[in-house]
Amino acid sequence: MAVPQQGNAARRAESDRAESYHAQRRLSVFKASPATYAVLLVVSALFFVPFVLMISISLASDQTSAENAFTVLPTEFTWTNFTGVFTDTGLPVGRFVANSVLIATLSAFGQVLSSSLVGYAFARLRAPGKGVMFIIVLATMMIPAQITMIPQFLLFKELGWVNTYLPLIVPNFFTNAFNVFLVRQFVSRISKELDEAAQVDGLGHFGVYRRIILPMMWPILTAIAIFTLTHAWGDFMGPLIYLNSEESMPLALGLQFMTDTSNAMQLPPWNLVMVGSILLTLPMIAIYYLGQKYLYEMNLQGGSAGVK
Amino acid sequence: MTNAVDAPGAVRSARRAGRRAPRRKASRRARKEAMYFWLFISPWLIGFLGFLLGPMIASVYISLTEWDSFTPPEFVGFANYTKALTEDPVFWKALSNTFYYALVSVPLGLVIGVWLANLLNKRVRGRKLFRTFIYLPTLVPLVATAMVFKMVLAPSGPLNELLGWFGVQGPDWLLDATWIKPALVVLSAWGAGGATVLLLSAMNGIPRELYEAAEIDGASPWRQFWSVTFPQITPVIFFNLIMGLIGAFQIFSQVYILTVATGSVGGPNNASQMMVTLLFREAFSFYHFGYASAIAWLLFLVILAFTLIAFRTARNWVFYETEVR
Repeated sequence: MAVPQQGNAARRAESDRAESYHAQRRLSVFKASPATYAVLLVVSALFFVPFVLMISISLASDQTSAENAFTVLPTEFTWTNFTGVFTDTGLPVGRFVANSVLIATLSAFGQVLSSSLVGYAFARLRAPGKGVMFIIVLATMMIPAQITMIPQFLLFKELGWVNTYLPLIVPNFFTNAFNVFLVRQFVSRISKELDEAAQVDGLGHFGVYRRIILPMMWPILTAIAIFTLTHAWGDFMGPLIYLNSEESMPLALGLQFMTDTSNAMQLPPWNLVMVGSILLTLPMIAIYYLGQKYLYEMNLQGGSAGVK
Repeated sequence: MTNAVDAPGAVRSARRAGRRAPRRKASRRARKEAMYFWLFISPWLIGFLGFLLGPMIASVYISLTEWDSFTPPEFVGFANYTKALTEDPVFWKALSNTFYYALVSVPLGLVIGVWLANLLNKRVRGRKLFRTFIYLPTLVPLVATAMVFKMVLAPSGPLNELLGWFGVQGPDWLLDATWIKPALVVLSAWGAGGATVLLLSAMNGIPRELYEAAEIDGASPWRQFWSVTFPQITPVIFFNLIMGLIGAFQIFSQVYILTVATGSVGGPNNASQMMVTLLFREAFSFYHFGYASAIAWLLFLVILAFTLIAFRTARNWVFYETEVR
């Protein structure tokens, strides 16, 4: 049993926060043993190894990576790969990046626009049949994308959209169930007094959405934008199905083409592929750190099983 | 325009409606609101009809036909389903591989997640730093992760180089039927940080009094973990289990990237053929749209069955505080 120590009297004088911190310190279950540190150090190191390899190989010269692939410490460092990735792969890598940016930003714009409209309606407007519609929204979350993949492909092929960005972008303008749910939850928590007052002052339903609710929605819309950006940026299967010309590929798919070699004996240019992987990764890390608190917001709204 | 002029009047008349109930005006306002509702949800509604419900119905029909999209579809009844379930050995291989992957990688990821979260929940110096290191991999796009693993596991890649130092001749991991699935599991374990962070925040929310009481009763840290921490985090474990299983059954990109160089997607002798890679190959390489649609529906049934089983068993092990109160 833990015995209260002498020094605690003085500590109790401190703020509640400090007190609870020190109270927590007494509990044996929170005691970190050397084994705790050992495990955490080993695991963190293991989790970091792929990053180390990604960076070190990206800095390796062609000779180093061809002779000895295990270049945690390349014999000669070179930054030329970071420009070489755009010039030496025989693929339009600059185009890949531009395509990725275009697809991801337009997708995010579409999701933000459509989910805010639909979520607002489900949170605020009354209409017969609304309950049923919302149940349908929730039910559609259960349908795996593979079910609709083939008919959608045939539809887009019929429309002549194959090998354009449209199949990857346009569906985002029709929102998805999860984002509708997030916006609806968020708007439901905004007090109704403001929009009632605005209606008295003569704003219609669209006016209330545009002038009152939309400006207050930005935390959840930022979260949705980040989520969509991340998803569209990293999507592999969609571009693989719809895009077959090099000029139109996003980076995620283009990387795969970078590893294709003309014959089995030839090694892929791993140093350039790793530079490409870094190009693919860095924006996602940057976006995460910029938008961290909004993602937290989304977790809260999504109510992911009571996660704080 | 008319809106702005009408609305104040409408609100005032609605107030009067409350008292004297001239039904017609109230219902006109309600009809207008309902019209706006349908207008506002029209993006979702059009998407639902055009990109979901329509394609779903089409998918059912296509799955009952033999169709290459160039010649007219031929109605074959349930032949595609019986072909998958009774004739096609690759389907069963893909099904069992998908089961193997889902039932190994998801529990493994959760065990690692709970274990790491429990360690990070102690008074560790540099907790934030450790947490960052463990979470960072989940920010890496799957394609980049797969590229790094493909490079590490290449025949003359870093891993075999390392094994060579110890005189071990490493296998050609991605070309070897024994190793390809474990490689996919290791790749998924690298993303265990996502679950770790969710579990850690759940652990932070556990009331300290519970531990104090357990401590006074003389419970060991081990016992405190199983009797206090674990029951309190079961809702988060359950959430991660469901999402993890749904995701794992749909595994595609990693398999494609890691095995496409071996000639056909799905690895040597279909050793890592999964439900979705098989579906993709049947649809977009062979143009067997009917058969591929049947596979999609079978996949849906598998996911549905596992989700239902998970929810069924949940009441036996998932603890919700509200039930006690």
